Amino acid sequence: MAAPVIDPKAPAQAAPTKLTMGKAINMGLRAAMEADPKVIVMGEDVGKMGGVYRITDGLQKDFGEQRVLDTPLSEAGIVGTAVGLAVRGFRPVCEIQFDGFIFPGFDQINSQVAKLHYRTQGKVKVPIVIRVPFGGGVGAVEHHSESPESFFAHMPGIKVVSCSNPVDAYWMIQQAIQSDDPVLFFEPKRRYHEKDEIDTTATPYPLFSSRVVRRGTTATLATYGPLVKTCLEAATAATEDGHDLEVIDLRTLSPLDLDPVFESVRRTGHLVVASEAPSEVSIASEIASRVQQECFYSLEAPVLKVAGFDTPYPPAKVEDDYLPDLDRVLDAVDRSMAW
Amino acid sequence: MPNYVHFPLPDVGEGLVEAEILTWHVQPGQEVQVNQIFVEIETSKAAVELPAPYAGVVKELLAEPGQTVEVGSPIIVFDIDPNGPEQSSSDNGGGAKIGEESGGRIQSLVGYGPKTGASKRRARKGTTVVEAPPPAPEPEPEPAVVAGGYVPLAKPPVRKLAKDLGVDLRSLATEGQVITRDDVQRAAAPEPVSAPVVTAGERERRVQVRGVRKATAKAMVDSAFTAPHVTEFMTIDVTPMMELRAKLKTHPQFRDVKLTPLVFAAKAVCLAARRTPDINAVWDEAAGEIVYKSYVHLGIAAATPRGLVVPKVHDADAMSLRELAEAIEALTLKARDGKTTPAEMANGTFTITNIGVFGVDTGTPIINPGESAILALGTIRDMPWVVDGQVVPRKICQLSLSFDHRVVDGQQGSEFLADVGALLADPSIAITY
Repeated sequence: MAAPVIDPKAPAQAAPTKLTMGKAINMGLRAAMEADPKVIVMGEDVGKMGGVYRITDGLQKDFGEQRVLDTPLSEAGIVGTAVGLAVRGFRPVCEIQFDGFIFPGFDQINSQVAKLHYRTQGKVKVPIVIRVPFGGGVGAVEHHSESPESFFAHMPGIKVVSCSNPVDAYWMIQQAIQSDDPVLFFEPKRRYHEKDEIDTTATPYPLFSSRVVRRGTTATLATYGPLVKTCLEAATAATEDGHDLEVIDLRTLSPLDLDPVFESVRRTGHLVVASEAPSEVSIASEIASRVQQECFYSLEAPVLKVAGFDTPYPPAKVEDDYLPDLDRVLDAVDRSMAW
Repeated sequence: MPNYVHFPLPDVGEGLVEAEILTWHVQPGQEVQVNQIFVEIETSKAAVELPAPYAGVVKELLAEPGQTVEVGSPIIVFDIDPNGPEQSSSDNGGGAKIGEESGGRIQSLVGYGPKTGASKRRARKGTTVVEAPPPAPEPEPEPAVVAGGYVPLAKPPVRKLAKDLGVDLRSLATEGQVITRDDVQRAAAPEPVSAPVVTAGERERRVQVRGVRKATAKAMVDSAFTAPHVTEFMTIDVTPMMELRAKLKTHPQFRDVKLTPLVFAAKAVCLAARRTPDINAVWDEAAGEIVYKSYVHLGIAAATPRGLVVPKVHDADAMSLRELAEAIEALTLKARDGKTTPAEMANGTFTITNIGVFGVDTGTPIINPGESAILALGTIRDMPWVVDGQVVPRKICQLSLSFDHRVVDGQQGSEFLADVGALLADPSIAITY
């Protein structure tokens, strides 16, 4: 292959900078804080340290300790404080340091965050965003690799979204902060370092909507968060088998936006849902149920799930055997096509 | 103020996991230049010298000579800016900084960190491994019109039924209509007397192979690929036959029958077969015998709206010319009305196909299974012909005979064809038989 020709006299082109998803969220938070002085960031080590994944890096320095709060190690306290702040007109953005740490705050989320608006007959709004780095693949100890999103998608009164790439992450965090409804914002932590160019002048895609990220005709893959990349890689690999897979990034888990999935399944007749969360009673289960209702006459095969196993997340050394990977996705496609 | 950088042991080979420190070439406090060799290590493959990636001062050596170190573990600390201002240090105290890649993982405060690089497909037989990951998802704005369109609508059990019966649901699909069990069963039903399935706007049409077409196809394939065919041709002057025909037409005995050239050919075949019985025999593969038949069941190939049918004139050899004429006419009419019974089509011993009615001169007919020869009768046309040294217009006809070479040799086939030709060229020869 010929080497690219570089003309030394050519004017230096402003190299488009690619940013990591972590940096994109940082930029999104910064933009939201600049736009609205009521936006407050709070959580464990988010201030001085900038968060364990450096998502809030530099925010305390720039916005001060009043707006970027290092909290005690108490998720119930973090969420409970956020409820009080929200009732008083603030827009708190809480960081739960790791997915597995959210459960001390579960009661506050379920009993207050999700219910207050309804309890007050709509008089009180609780525009809280709870950021949760989630999912495995980072070689961590227990409580650090879980996928608890189904618990919250099952909880009426809050919304649940998950970004999968830097561009979405930049916009979605801002849209979530602007939402008057409380939003659980799941960030696939093993994709924090994926890079992409971000056009901060673009028009963002609506927050609560799914999106086809790869067009195809053979079968449909519906997924979200960390497995979007996996499914795109699987689709690329499947072209060797003559399969042209469609990939849908769900983006919103509550409410689910399944119209793009229905439309896709009516064309392909095959659906595989991929998620890291344990398979039973999951987002994937709900999608399977809805698709068999809406696309019953179009299904060439049952909806198949590729998901985590119904065990606690395993130790880091064996997590590769637990996480759905490219091969498991393609095996499911093969099973569906062979039906 | 200093700026310390930890240097992790790199993978100097391909997938090496560890190396042994052999000799340090630098000491703490020593100044180093970029690319200055600072350590010698030994991997499982070779001893390697490592050049310094930075200029600065060695702050600390983190491993002893003789110590085995994992790839990715820091082995030395450089102070790359001994006189500079203090940097905001976000070191994790170990090797690479948080967020930086080291040893195939991105360094993280908690855990080993996520792996870098694209995931690869497991090795499979006869395939290559995918290398490049797809580019970051660039969502397409609008659904494109996709080839293949929408899946035909049907319940899963109906899909199963269609699969079992070999019915392609796409051929039954109408927009918005759910295909039912009845639709599938109707599509799979054998030989409905319905028009071929034609979808408006298509430039091809597909017709189910069934009935006469199916039977013809099977018979022809069976014959063509089991009986070795030989075809011989003969061009004859049938003017005398046509004169006789004209004469007989006014004869009271033939007043009300259709006396076609085919009838003469049928008579000629019956007469000639008597002299060459091999033509009227059949190869019995199963028994390992040739069956000679002392009767002629003469098949007459007839084009009908349903396709080719070959009804038989039973015991044609025992018939007079008039009886033959009557029998052929009756059979032909019946065939055109589609009323030929299976019994009338069975047990032929020889077939005549009258391709002349289509204005065709000759052909290479395929023998009906169960028989050993078939005669094609070409069209009769006025042609220049040499009679007694003079070119004169005559009624000329071509005959072609295909025979099964397992049963009939060239000699018998040729004699038979010559006899038929002679009889048609001069019917008076018949009196010598």
